[in-house]
Amino acid sequence: MMTSWVDTSCIITVFLSLIILSNYRVTAMIRVFALQSFVLSLLPFFLHASSLSGRDIFIVLVTMILKAALVPYILFWAIRHVSMRSEIKPIIGFGASIILGALVIAGAFWISLSLTLPGKPASDLILPCSLSTVLLGFMIMVTRTRAVTQVLGYLIMENGIFLFAVSLFDVMPVLIEIGILLDIFVAVFIMAIVVNHINEEFEKNMVSVSRSKMGEAF
Amino acid sequence: MLTLLIAIPFLCALAVFLPVSRDFRLKLFFVISLAHALIVASFWSHQPLEEYNGFLVLDSLGLILLSIISFLFLSVSIFMIGYFKHEKRSNRLFTACLLFLLSTMSLVAVSYHFGLLWVAIEATTLFSAPLISFHRNQQSLQATWRYLLICSVGIALALMGTFFLAIAAHDVHTLLLPVLLKGASSLSVNWLKLSIIFFIVGYGCKMGLAPTHSWKPEAYGQATGMVGVLMAGALTQCSFLALLRIAQICNKTGLTEFYSSILIVSGILSLAVPAMFILGEKNIKRAFAYSSIEHMGLLVLGLGLGSVGLFGALFHMINNALAKVIMFLTAGSVAQKYGSTRSDEVTGVIHIYPLTGILLIAAFLAGIGMFPFATFHSELLILNAAIISKHYLLAAIGVICLAFMFIGVGKIVLGVIHGKPKEPLLAKKENIYMNVAIAMAVLLLIGLGLWMPRPLENLLHNAVSLVGAV
Repeated sequence: MMTSWVDTSCIITVFLSLIILSNYRVTAMIRVFALQSFVLSLLPFFLHASSLSGRDIFIVLVTMILKAALVPYILFWAIRHVSMRSEIKPIIGFGASIILGALVIAGAFWISLSLTLPGKPASDLILPCSLSTVLLGFMIMVTRTRAVTQVLGYLIMENGIFLFAVSLFDVMPVLIEIGILLDIFVAVFIMAIVVNHINEEFEKNMVSVSRSKMGEAF
Repeated sequence: MLTLLIAIPFLCALAVFLPVSRDFRLKLFFVISLAHALIVASFWSHQPLEEYNGFLVLDSLGLILLSIISFLFLSVSIFMIGYFKHEKRSNRLFTACLLFLLSTMSLVAVSYHFGLLWVAIEATTLFSAPLISFHRNQQSLQATWRYLLICSVGIALALMGTFFLAIAAHDVHTLLLPVLLKGASSLSVNWLKLSIIFFIVGYGCKMGLAPTHSWKPEAYGQATGMVGVLMAGALTQCSFLALLRIAQICNKTGLTEFYSSILIVSGILSLAVPAMFILGEKNIKRAFAYSSIEHMGLLVLGLGLGSVGLFGALFHMINNALAKVIMFLTAGSVAQKYGSTRSDEVTGVIHIYPLTGILLIAAFLAGIGMFPFATFHSELLILNAAIISKHYLLAAIGVICLAFMFIGVGKIVLGVIHGKPKEPLLAKKENIYMNVAIAMAVLLLIGLGLWMPRPLENLLHNAVSLVGAV
């Protein structure tokens, strides 16, 4: 019963990454990302449904607060200037992105055929879905020009790794798990500050720079 | 003791945000660095006990890195006192980040769990990023962004490597190094190979190995000299420690061949790429950044070749760090005096600042690996290892690349030193603190080049046997 929930979450995660890939409004992307993190943060519930421990609940809460609430909040803060809220000229167009994305997902499923997890995995979909999410995140990072969108790409990559990591939760001590989450949070925090500085620098040189270039990551 | 070493700088970094004067912050940083150095020096005679159930352990490899970190921070803290005499910008965030960096780097040196190691290395990336954009202008923000993004992706790949390692270690069920080494035979080889590839790409990205080196010239070119020292001398070598830890596992599981072939290829690539780009360079700091890529290439090449090469690589860790102190601090001192380090804007340094000019020559010779600087010996050891293991072509390529570096760096540095002097605009006088900090490293590096002390030799031999290279 619970396995079907795990499968569903995995598939939703990949679909949400595809939606972010095909979107051009940054605010919408951040909302979708928050939803994706929320779905992922529930995964430990589904995985350990029969024997839920205090540790699972703790991880779920921390992930939810950090990834689904605080990180999107910081990103919204970083783009509070209206002028940089849409991705104007991606390196690969939106239509081509989706086709490439589909190919990437197919590739991820094909690769994971040859990888066998030791022990008994909770779901066969975890490995291919996490690989596709990582690759889609990477694609967003390299094909978009806005600084914020690149941060989102990085975060989606991290979400993919997280999906992979939940199936191995018992190997890492809980403190290190929290350390990893905190590190990612601080990373986003610092990236948001740099994005903010980049915007300020552009505003200072407004005369020489056309408005559409604002917030672009060089 | 190990906990204190990490906790004290961390707490002081928080204290820096309190309303205190800028001089107090500089003094605090100096005192903390000195205390750190003294504690680390005491570790040479008494090895500290393991803490937190074996999560924090200081072994010979860690001690080498920890001593390097300690010395680098001490020289930077002395240099900073002089530097901020002429710098009007607030040093609050700068000192705080430096202290955070000291704390997290110490954690890297003593962590014995692969997850913890990752957390610590990622934290060093984050706290070093704000340091690069100290002069907040467009170029430095661009450099910071590039550094942050490239290294974050690299580090994310290393995280994947860590999880793959966790899968490989499904039977032993932990990522503690001693347990992994003991249960090496039960590791799943396929997953281990996959994790090794991700580790090399991830941590190699952080080390600045070619082809993921592109953040290096940007970041080092824009960062102040002090930050350049810490990044090129300590931060990159923290990632090298991670590669050494993986070598420990590989040597236990019979994957030495697999691991070393990848290392040798990336080492040679990191030697060749800077040699190609150095000749067109005009900025001293960027030239030194290319030299740093080259040194990282030598390190992994040494590790890949094993035995003598490994000994050379470990020795080179120390020498590289000292050379980086001389190179980047002198570049920083020139940058402050002239407001630039470009060879078309700065000329004739030796006529106006004889001492800085001489130090610049020392920086050039140390960076390039000339006798009597100890970099000469370690580079020779690594090339020697290539010849002993009958990789003649490898040795030849190495020598040619080093020759290119010699010409490239020499052309820029000598151009800055000689020529018609230009009047500097900012600071008129030599600063004693700055020069003392650099001179310390010069003397130490020459000293090591002439005579290797017994304790150091023992430490290096211990470290080599710890890695267990065949």
